[in-house]
Amino acid sequence: MFSKRSVITYVIAFILILLLNFLLPRMMPGDPLTAIYGDEALVAMTPELEAELVERFALDHPLWQQLGAYFVALFQGELGYSYYYNAPVLSVILGRLPWTLLLVGTSLLLSTILGIVLGIESGWRRGSRTDRTLLAGLMSLNGFPDFFLGMLLLIAFGVILGVFPLAGALTPYSGLSGLALLLDVLRHLFLPVAALTLAHLGDSYLLTRNTMITVLKEPYMLTAKAKGLSQRLLKYRHAGRNSMLPVVTRTGIWMGRVVTGTLFVELVFAYPGVGYLTYEALLARDYPIIQGVFLMVAISVLVVNFLIDLSYPKLDPRVSYAY
Amino acid sequence: MHIDLKREIKESGPGKTGLIILLLMITVALAAPILAPYDPYQQSTASLLSPSWSHWLGTNHVGQDIWSRLVFGARTSLLVGFGVGILATLLGTVFGVSAALVGGLYEKVVMRIVDAFIVIPMIIVIILISAYIRPGILTLILLLSLLSWQGGARIMRAQALSLKERGHVAAAKSFGANRFYLAWRHIVPDLGPILLVEFIYGVRRAVFMEAGLAFLGISDPTVVSWGMMMRDALSFSYLNVWQWWLVPTGVALSLIIIGLTFIGHAAEPVIEPRLRGVGIA
Repeated sequence: MFSKRSVITYVIAFILILLLNFLLPRMMPGDPLTAIYGDEALVAMTPELEAELVERFALDHPLWQQLGAYFVALFQGELGYSYYYNAPVLSVILGRLPWTLLLVGTSLLLSTILGIVLGIESGWRRGSRTDRTLLAGLMSLNGFPDFFLGMLLLIAFGVILGVFPLAGALTPYSGLSGLALLLDVLRHLFLPVAALTLAHLGDSYLLTRNTMITVLKEPYMLTAKAKGLSQRLLKYRHAGRNSMLPVVTRTGIWMGRVVTGTLFVELVFAYPGVGYLTYEALLARDYPIIQGVFLMVAISVLVVNFLIDLSYPKLDPRVSYAY
Repeated sequence: MHIDLKREIKESGPGKTGLIILLLMITVALAAPILAPYDPYQQSTASLLSPSWSHWLGTNHVGQDIWSRLVFGARTSLLVGFGVGILATLLGTVFGVSAALVGGLYEKVVMRIVDAFIVIPMIIVIILISAYIRPGILTLILLLSLLSWQGGARIMRAQALSLKERGHVAAAKSFGANRFYLAWRHIVPDLGPILLVEFIYGVRRAVFMEAGLAFLGISDPTVVSWGMMMRDALSFSYLNVWQWWLVPTGVALSLIIIGLTFIGHAAEPVIEPRLRGVGIA
């Protein structure tokens, strides 16, 4: 059964996130209007607008009333208004979201699958030359920050060889459609995805390999071997499948890491996703956008973690006894 | 805890490599004023020079000597890394061990908070906070520590819980030792190897974060940092300056992280003894 404890954990995490987002701009010295609405808002400020903005978040009232106003606005799906983009925060973020999802989804899928397969193979042959090479190689790769890997790929394949585009997600004003458009998207996607996949491959590989090594020592592996099962069955169905379990629990944490990795990689490739948006917002001190991105990223990582926690007892029935 | 951590690291090839890399970096950081021929902040009109005898790695866009900046950058990186490593491990131990020993409501509250923090993606929180306060080095160390001790606390608590039941702790208790004495004399010393593994991973995380934040441009602009150097170099990637500006900086940063990863991996059997003898060598 799913535990009550996890639910409480996520509720606390959720409240912490909201509180941080609420308190931080209001605790800043100086005018809370700037901290909440960003520098750009001051340029557009008229007395009427100011009155309206103060009114909306009850800024002239005590903190607890401000909190109330904040929650009301939030639960109406109101993430604020960016005076820099002159558009509601939600629509600015949603406009960038598909690119980030594409980037994160592809890299997470590729790095997890590749990591699991390599981890199983490596653990199966533990101590061998292949295993040692893979281990040393992937551990080193794991040490490269994703943005540095990205820059190396950018220089090698973009600048020197010139086989991939240097920036963006699409060729601007190309008027492409259909298959040509798809190819254009893939060509732009290739390097950022490669950077993220390579940088995060080590996580799932190391974990799978470690689990594989402990699983191979289990008595049931001996039984399976004694039954005369083929190597492939032993490796993938008996050992491999059990080695994947911890990987599943960590996927949520990795997703968090890949999402933040995307922030950096998008900046390297000027890829127009949420990460690049955050960077632009940081430069412009466009606080509504930064707060909006923070809320969306933090909450989506929470939701994914929660769903994984939910599904885990189904994958590994032993866990349900643990509660 | 019958595994000798020192031997574990020394006997593993990568463990040794990692240790050598780390010691080398620490030496460079300590000897920075000797190794650097120029003031890393001194700007000059000689900008974007190629490497030469007077400027080993050339100069950057505002005429600062890149080699000198690289050497001084090691200080920032390691200072933040070790600062956070020590502080976060300390916080993790204090909360983890006290939760295990005190128990009751206190333990529940601490562990709930720990669990909640673990599921929140840390970097995005730091980015939000940094966007408002643009932290200097000390603030950054505090901030990173406050946000990263929770994983360690969970492990320390589990260890302390099992240590608590051991004979020698029970014996000390029967002689009237109070909780503080128990924790300090009997539990914490036995946590040693695990503390070290937590510390290493804490340092690694912090080195990475410091570079990342500087790369995003939300660190103190007056302190030389590898992340910031890479960010500056990136905007000149169409020139050939990346060869002596971007690559050495990125390699230095990666080397520290790889070194720490190797040491951590070699020390991991402390937490999971079943992995013994199946490392790289």
